[in-house]
Amino acid sequence: MENAKINAMQLFVLIFLFELGSALLIPLGTEAKQDAWLAILAGVAGGVFLFYIYLRLYKYYPDILPTEYMQMLLGKIFGKILACIYIVYFLYISARVLRDFGEMLVTFAYEETPLFIVNALLLLTIVYTVHKGIEVIARTGQLLFVVLYFLAVAGFILVIVSGLIEIKNLKPVLENGVMPVVKTFFKETWYIPFGEVVVFIMIFPYINRPKKLKKAGIAAIVLSGINLVITMAINIAVLGVDLTSRSQFPLLNTIQAIQVAEFLERLDVFFMIALIVGGFIKITIYFYAAVTGVSNLFHVKETSKLAYPLGIVVLILSLSIASSYTEHIQEGLMIVSLYMHLPLQVIIPILLLIVAYFKNKKKERSK
Amino acid sequence: MKIGSIIILLLMNMIFLSGCWSNRELPDLALVSALGIDKAENGQYVGTIQVINPGNVAGGEGTQATGSESTPITTYTASGGNLTEVNRHVSSQVSRRPYYAHTNLLVIGEKLAREEGIAKIFDALERDPEFRTTTKAVIATNNTKAEDIISTLTTIDKIPSNKVIKTLESTEQILGQHMNVDTRDVLSKMATPDQAPIITCFSMEGDENQGKSLENIQATVPEARLQASGIAVLKDGKMIDTITEDVSKGTMWVLNKIKATAVSIDWKGETDAIVYQVTRQKTDVTADMKNTNKPKISVEVSAEGRIGEAAVPVDLSNPLLLVEFEEALGEKIKENIMSSIHKAQELKADYLGFGGAVHRADPNAWESIKGEWEDSYFPEVEVDVTVDAFVRRTGLRNEPLLSNMEN
Repeated sequence: MENAKINAMQLFVLIFLFELGSALLIPLGTEAKQDAWLAILAGVAGGVFLFYIYLRLYKYYPDILPTEYMQMLLGKIFGKILACIYIVYFLYISARVLRDFGEMLVTFAYEETPLFIVNALLLLTIVYTVHKGIEVIARTGQLLFVVLYFLAVAGFILVIVSGLIEIKNLKPVLENGVMPVVKTFFKETWYIPFGEVVVFIMIFPYINRPKKLKKAGIAAIVLSGINLVITMAINIAVLGVDLTSRSQFPLLNTIQAIQVAEFLERLDVFFMIALIVGGFIKITIYFYAAVTGVSNLFHVKETSKLAYPLGIVVLILSLSIASSYTEHIQEGLMIVSLYMHLPLQVIIPILLLIVAYFKNKKKERSK
Repeated sequence: MKIGSIIILLLMNMIFLSGCWSNRELPDLALVSALGIDKAENGQYVGTIQVINPGNVAGGEGTQATGSESTPITTYTASGGNLTEVNRHVSSQVSRRPYYAHTNLLVIGEKLAREEGIAKIFDALERDPEFRTTTKAVIATNNTKAEDIISTLTTIDKIPSNKVIKTLESTEQILGQHMNVDTRDVLSKMATPDQAPIITCFSMEGDENQGKSLENIQATVPEARLQASGIAVLKDGKMIDTITEDVSKGTMWVLNKIKATAVSIDWKGETDAIVYQVTRQKTDVTADMKNTNKPKISVEVSAEGRIGEAAVPVDLSNPLLLVEFEEALGEKIKENIMSSIHKAQELKADYLGFGGAVHRADPNAWESIKGEWEDSYFPEVEVDVTVDAFVRRTGLRNEPLLSNMEN
């Protein structure tokens, strides 16, 4: 664990950007058709619930990393195995997100550039940032937050001004009852992006005033959730359900539809910046969690030196996990949600919390 | 240390070279302003691209630059089994790489739209990252091929695709009989049973060969002219008919697309004597689903405007008279709307969006009827139209000139 501290505001910004990261760009929750925004809203509630669990766990062990307290809770061997699983999970997801963003860039902007180059350049900056440590990541986040928010507000105003929003596309609400929304919640929106906050258990110990943690975290989850709800509702209102769910990047199509006063059009760069900012923060956080985890588990003194070798692992992994974008997306929907997100974001943290509860009760009694 | 400085030097290069990967210089691109797609007799697609001659449009309108010596655009035609193939074949004629990011007009040939439908060609267009969904779509009708629309030279707006788009925009606003539709609209409507898409038709009047030469734009009355000529109705992605005049105007009323239009009514035996200019309007379409098997649609229009012309002696300073006008105008607009509804029911194509209203009113009932909505429910549907027209003012004069002349 490196010797650094971040404040609650910085944590808020990081969680906010992290959640918007890729969820802003993909057709999130479109299985619920025009009620996708409701599914996301349900996801916010689920996210706050999960955040409480992570927070309780943190409160039992405020000064040490999860990789350590897992060993205390489950014993040396099982704790180490679980910590290893989490590290591999973080590495794998950072490779997945890297692949996502590389593919997005290649699909719509850099058609002739090899994926390797795009991924390598993005990862190079990420490795450098992680090498510099959590304080630098947090400050970068604050800077990028302003940029992203400015673009979001500008984009929002332009979409409204250009008269593209057709509210009737969002109707009828709850066409097929509540079930599709619930299903989408359990299959997708609970985990992406809200359950992914699990990675922040690796970052909680760095916060300087733990009392503010709860407020900052919940504010970030709710605010980013509201942003996602608005974005998805606008996507559907502008494009219609069918086009939104068929589109690889609905937000891009929405932004492309903006035409104001003959010159405010072709604002694809808005999408590009949102993509780069979101992707950068998301991969950085995952990758940082993996790097600190490895250094803590294997007692490597200089954490930052691990960034480069692990970076190469992530880069190669990002290229080799799937042979096509379709395969990549299918893996994400069919395998990752069910067999990785659900156990690692929900089930194991709950079990850990139960174990921690009983262990600490025993300790108190023995005192 | 030496190795470190070399690495830094190499990394610094990345800053300066970052734009150079697969760069395309402007002189190597052929900017395609419009794309026309026809269907040949042998079933192949015939694509025509309109490429801007940059030197001949520069300098803007009005200045007598080099523009007058050669045409502002050049068109190229190629054929192939699919759009990608057409694009590749075109390259054997063009000295530059066709660049589609600035294509703002798509012209579809009537034969293609009627026989094969437009779904196939739209896939290639929406899949391509260069092509944009804000591109406007029109259908070439009245024996005009898409190629003719693409290659006819036009005055005032030198680039024909701009002319077509601007015409669409202005006629939608002033006349209210045509609709400015972009490919995104068409795509989103084709996918749902809620509403059928419609696309405005364009045709060329005059001699097609004349239209291709510079002489066409040197005359005050161009030999070949492009003009909007009604609205094409599509069903299952295929064009089935065109609607014009009052019917298409009624359609625009229902679709809430009227921005400004003129409505004329007969008065004191004179036909079309009083002209009403609409300044704003609002239309609501709602469905009453009390009886699930017999949906009832109600269309509520409220319009506001002024008197534009009075060709009979009437006392326009009398507010009671204006109320009478309002009633007559409401009837007239209602007539327009009813004619468009009857036409749509006859065609069994729900381009008025009544299906969407039913869908929103009762999603469960819609689920069971949407499969046969257009063919069995829509033609039978009962529609209740109410129009409230308000005459707010009468222009710069009270009484018309005629009423004083008669004394």
